[in-house]
Amino acid sequence: MFERCRSWLLIALCTLALKELAGAGLIYAKAALAPHLMARAWAATQAEGGVHKPWPWADTWPVARLRVPQLGIDQFVLAGASGNALAFGPGLDAAGVEPGQGGTAVIAGHRDTHFRFLQHLVPAMSLSVELPDGRLLQYRVAESRVVDSRQPVAAPSHFGPAELELVTCYPFDAIRPGGPLRYVVHAQPAGAEWQAFSPLSAAQGVIPL
Amino acid sequence: MQYGYTQQGMSEAANWQRLGQWFCFRALPAATGLLLALLLATVSPVRASAVVEGNEVPGAGQMRWHDQVSGSYQAAVTQQSRLDVRIAGMLAVVELEQVFQNTTQAWQEGIYSFPLPEDAAVRHLEMQVGERVVIGKVREREEAKVLYQQARAAGKKAALVEQQRPNLFSNRIANIAPGEQVTVRLQYVQTAKYSAGRFALRIPTTLTPRYIPGVSRAAPAAAEVAALAPAPSGEYTGWAPPTDQVPDAPAITPYLYPQPGSDSAPLNPLHLAVELDAGMPLAEVQALYHELSLARDGQRYKLQLASGPVEMDRDVVLQWRPVTGAMPRAAVFTQQVAGETFGLLMVLPPELAPQQANLPREVVFVVDVSGSMAGVSIKQAREALALALRQLRPADRFNILAFDDSVRPLFAGAVPATRHHLQQASEFVRHLEAGGGTEMRPALERALAPGAEAERGLLRQVIFITDGAVGNEQALFELIQQRLGASRLFTVGIGSAPNHWFMQRAAQAGRGFSVQVGDIGEAAAVMTELFARIAAPLAADVSVQWPQAVEAWPDRVPDLYRGQPLVQAVRFVGALPAGEVSVSANLAGEHWQSALALPAQPGNTQHDGVASVWARSKIAGLLALKTAGEPEQRIREQVLEVALAHQLLSPYTSFVAIEERVSREPTAPLRPGIVPNTRPRGQGPQPYAYPNTATTGPAKAFLGCFALFIALLVHVMRRPEQDRV
Repeated sequence: MFERCRSWLLIALCTLALKELAGAGLIYAKAALAPHLMARAWAATQAEGGVHKPWPWADTWPVARLRVPQLGIDQFVLAGASGNALAFGPGLDAAGVEPGQGGTAVIAGHRDTHFRFLQHLVPAMSLSVELPDGRLLQYRVAESRVVDSRQPVAAPSHFGPAELELVTCYPFDAIRPGGPLRYVVHAQPAGAEWQAFSPLSAAQGVIPL
Repeated sequence: MQYGYTQQGMSEAANWQRLGQWFCFRALPAATGLLLALLLATVSPVRASAVVEGNEVPGAGQMRWHDQVSGSYQAAVTQQSRLDVRIAGMLAVVELEQVFQNTTQAWQEGIYSFPLPEDAAVRHLEMQVGERVVIGKVREREEAKVLYQQARAAGKKAALVEQQRPNLFSNRIANIAPGEQVTVRLQYVQTAKYSAGRFALRIPTTLTPRYIPGVSRAAPAAAEVAALAPAPSGEYTGWAPPTDQVPDAPAITPYLYPQPGSDSAPLNPLHLAVELDAGMPLAEVQALYHELSLARDGQRYKLQLASGPVEMDRDVVLQWRPVTGAMPRAAVFTQQVAGETFGLLMVLPPELAPQQANLPREVVFVVDVSGSMAGVSIKQAREALALALRQLRPADRFNILAFDDSVRPLFAGAVPATRHHLQQASEFVRHLEAGGGTEMRPALERALAPGAEAERGLLRQVIFITDGAVGNEQALFELIQQRLGASRLFTVGIGSAPNHWFMQRAAQAGRGFSVQVGDIGEAAAVMTELFARIAAPLAADVSVQWPQAVEAWPDRVPDLYRGQPLVQAVRFVGALPAGEVSVSANLAGEHWQSALALPAQPGNTQHDGVASVWARSKIAGLLALKTAGEPEQRIREQVLEVALAHQLLSPYTSFVAIEERVSREPTAPLRPGIVPNTRPRGQGPQPYAYPNTATTGPAKAFLGCFALFIALLVHVMRRPEQDRV
C-alpha cells in the first residue's frame, strides 16, 4: 500500500518536473532560436522597407538592430514591448519615440534571456542601433539606475535630445517573475555632452546606483 | 541471471526495466539534487542583495520625502479625513474634515490633492488651529491665490482650496508649526443618484493617476527647477510636467504612497458616519466596499464603520432600495434662501418592457488596456467584456478595439456575432494585458467613425470600458460631441477609484449613460443591466412645464433610459407659485404625461442644499457650453456671478481662509510638505508602466528541479525492511 502510494507520488513528481523543465526549456529555446528567423525578415526590411514578419503568424517584426561591440551583443529589436514580442527578442515600447527622433526611445527585454547583459553595461560603453533605412545611431551609456515601477513615472519624453533607455527587470537573478523593480540603462547620443543624472530622480523614487 | 538464455526476451525486458528504474530513481534524482544545490548556492546571495536593494527604496517603510536643501530625508505632513454624511431624501449634506499633522521639526506647507464627487457643491470652508476657527471666503481664483501667497509669506496660517477638475480639488495649508495639527473642514452638497430601483451615493477617497498625453512644454531642465522649488512659485508639484494638451498637469498628478495601503494601519485614515433619512420605508441599506454597522430608528438609519478607521483607497458607495411601491413616481424638494425659492424636481417615467422586435445593432466595445488598468482593473474589464459578448444576438454586428498608446482592433470592421467570431473575441479578451499609455483620442475617433454600417440603418452603440485616468478630459468630451452622429456612447467605469467625472460627462456627451464595476463580482449584474437598459425604450423629447417662469438647469432634458429619473433644479423668479408642474415625454412612440402639485406651504418643507444644487447645476450647465464652442470669457463671467452669490467652489473661484495673527517668523524657512494619496486598492500605480521584463523560465526551472529533488527524497525514504530484502 505504502509502496504503491510512493510510486504514484514519484510518477506525479517526475511528471511535474518534466512539465516545468520542458516549459522553461521552451522559453529559452524560443529566445535563442528566434534571432535566426528574424535575420531574414530584417534583411528583407532593409532591402524593401515596410513590415516583414519573421513567420507568417508572428505578431511582431524587427524594427532595429542593437549592438554592443564590447560585449559581443547583436540583437534584433522587435515592434512592441508586450509579452508576445519580448519572448522572441527585445521590444521597442510604443509609448516612447522611434530611435533617432527627438525624445526617449525605450527598448525593453527579458532579464532572463536577451537583456541579461544589461548588468554588464557600464557608463561610457558604446551602443549602436541600426535602423531599417540604414542609419546607424551611436549611443554612449550615461548611467544605470533601479526604478520602482510602483511609483508613478512620467511617460517617456517625446522631445529633446534623442536618447535611449534599455529596460529590464531587476534583480537579475531573482526567480519569481513580476517583481516591481526595473533596471534602466540610460544612453545618450555619442558625442553629446555628458549630463549628470538629476537629483529630481531621487524625489521620484529613483535610486541612482 | 538464474533464468538463463531460455527466457532471454523476458530477461532483456527486465534489464531494461531495471535500467529505467535506475535512471528514474537513482541517476536523475542525484543529478537534479546536485543541480538544485548548485542553483541554491548561486541564488541565495543574490536574493539577499535584492532585499537590501529593496530597503533603499525611498518610502518603502515610512513615507519620507527627499529634502533637496539639506540632502536628508524628512518625514512629511500626514492627513486623516472624517466624513459626516447627512442624507435627507435624495440630498446629502457632507461635512469633510481633514486633519493635517506636521511630523517634522521644520515649518511646513501642507499640499494635499483630494477627490470629491463630480457634482459636489462645495459651499463652506473653515480652518481650525487649536481653539481658533477661521471661516473661509470664496474669491476669484487668482485673487484667492494672491491673498494666500501673501499670508504665507507673512507667516500667517492660511488654507486655500482650489478646484482642479470637477472631481479633483487641492488643499494648501500654509505655516503648520513643527508638531502642530491644523484642521480644515469643508461642507458640500451632493445628490443621490437613482437608477433601476435603488439610490446610490458615491464618495471617492483617492484617485487613479491620470495619464498625461501630449508633448512636454517646458524643457526638462526648467521642469526640474520648477519641481525642486515648488513653494516659492506657488505652483503644484505633480509627477508630470505640463504638456501642450494638459497645461495644468502638475496640479492633477499628485504623488502616491509607493506602498499599498491597508485597513489595519491606514496611511490616510478615513472615519465615516452616515445619517440616512430617505423619507420612505427602505427594503435594504448597504455599503458596497465597506463594512458598516447599522442602527435604525423608524425610517432613519445611522451607519458607522464597523471596525474603526479605514484606508482611503476605494470609493465609499452607499445604496438604499425603497420598499416596492413606496417610491413616489415624482417628488419636488424646495428651499427658500434670502427671499428666493429653489426647487429640485425628480420624475420617474413608467418602465416599459423591451420591444418585441429588437432592431439589429452594431456594438463597438472600446477597452482601455493602459498601464493604469494594471492589477484588479484589467481583470474586471476582461470579465465585463466577456459577459458583454454573451449579451450579443446572432443578428448583431460587433467589434472590439483595445487601446493603450495605439489602437488594436480585433476585426478590421464590424462582423456578425456568429459563434466563430465570438470565439475569436473571447480568445482576444482573455489575452488582454495592461501596459503603456492612455491615448484615448485615436481610439474614440476610430470607434465613432461612421462606417458602411451607418448606411444599413443599424443602431450603433459604443461601449467604452475604462478607468478614465486621463488628463485631457475636456478635449475628449468635445471629440465625442462632434463625432457622435447617430451612435450612442455608454461608459463602464472600472477599478477602485475611477474618474467619475469622465464617466458621467463622456456618457452625457455620447447621449448614453454610465455604469460602474468596482468589484469583479459585480460585473455580471452590471453588464446584464446595461444591455437590458440599452434595449428598453427611451423617454424622448422630455419637456417640463412649470406654472410660472423659472430658470431650470439642465435647461434641455436629455433622453431618459429605463429606470433613469428626470432631475431638474429650478429657481423660481418670484415666490413659490401654487399649481402643478407637468412633465410630458414621448415613450416608445406614445405620448406620456404626468402632473405633480407643488407643495402649498414651502416654509414647512425646507430642504437644505437645494439652492446649492441648483447653483452647481447651473455652473455645470454653463461649463458644458464650452464643448459647444461658447467663448470662455462669457462663460467665466456667468459662472463667477453664480459661484460668488452662492459661495461655491468652481473652476474660477477658490475658498481661502486666513488667520490674522502671525505664527511663523518670516525668517524661519518653510518647506513644502506633500501629502501623498493612497494607491487605489489592488490597482497598479502608474499611468505609464514599464513593460514586464521577466520570463517564467527561472521559476519553471526552479520548480522542476525542486519537484525532482522531492522525488529523490521520497525515493530515498524507503522502509528499512525493504532494504534488507
